[in-house]
Amino acid sequence: MAFDNASSTLSSPLLEEKTELDEQLGTPWKVIVLNDPVNLMNYVVMVFKKVFGYNDTKATKHMMEVHEQGKSVLWVGEREQAENYAYQLQRWRLQTILEKDD
Amino acid sequence: MIEFSLQVEARIIRAVLPELEKLFALSVKGEDFSEILPDFDDPDFKEAWIEGLKHEAKDDRNALARLLKSPRFKYGRVELEESDVDDLLRGLTAIRFTIRKTSLKEVSDEELETGMSSISSKHPEVQIGYFAYLLMAEVQERLIQEIS
Repeated sequence: MAFDNASSTLSSPLLEEKTELDEQLGTPWKVIVLNDPVNLMNYVVMVFKKVFGYNDTKATKHMMEVHEQGKSVLWVGEREQAENYAYQLQRWRLQTILEKDD
Repeated sequence: MIEFSLQVEARIIRAVLPELEKLFALSVKGEDFSEILPDFDDPDFKEAWIEGLKHEAKDDRNALARLLKSPRFKYGRVELEESDVDDLLRGLTAIRFTIRKTSLKEVSDEELETGMSSISSKHPEVQIGYFAYLLMAEVQERLIQEIS
């Protein structure tokens, strides 16, 4: 009984905060590259290969998506790694955004 | 060492070099990385992100400066150390963005992507900017071919 009481006391703010944090950490993030009129197609392919280690076929597929549809989701996963990829892509001057994968 | 010759007439290179040097000076004043930022809630994180990108952009500009100052570049010869390749590739993109936002600001994205067929009717400043833009693209394209 005492144990049950302790559990119900814990279920308020602390547990809610923990659940929220778990949800944030667990939410996948999308790394999205947007089209721009400046970067050359072979440059974009090269950057995708360098940053993600994609092969030529996969890198070209994403480049074509960016070119034809205006954007491509390059990677989905945890926030920290998504930020790391976004930073690297921006260092190569590719327009990159991060979005929650809802 | 990576070396190759551009398929561009040396007189065109010599004509656009002074403009490129002006544009380079403009790009040194600061790239606006805030335009390409992910959506941040934390201002300190945002500042660190921008400062990191700005700091690393210096190496890119230095590699581009070495190319533009190279005595043989005005004759269409590109020579660089392999360790400079990534920095130069990024520096070339950076200056193309600067040209896009300055000399070519009146040109539409579509016109730029499909090639400017009406270049002769444009203002001389736009013409010279466009040739500088193409020259930097040519160097970048050839460099990517060389390392592939």
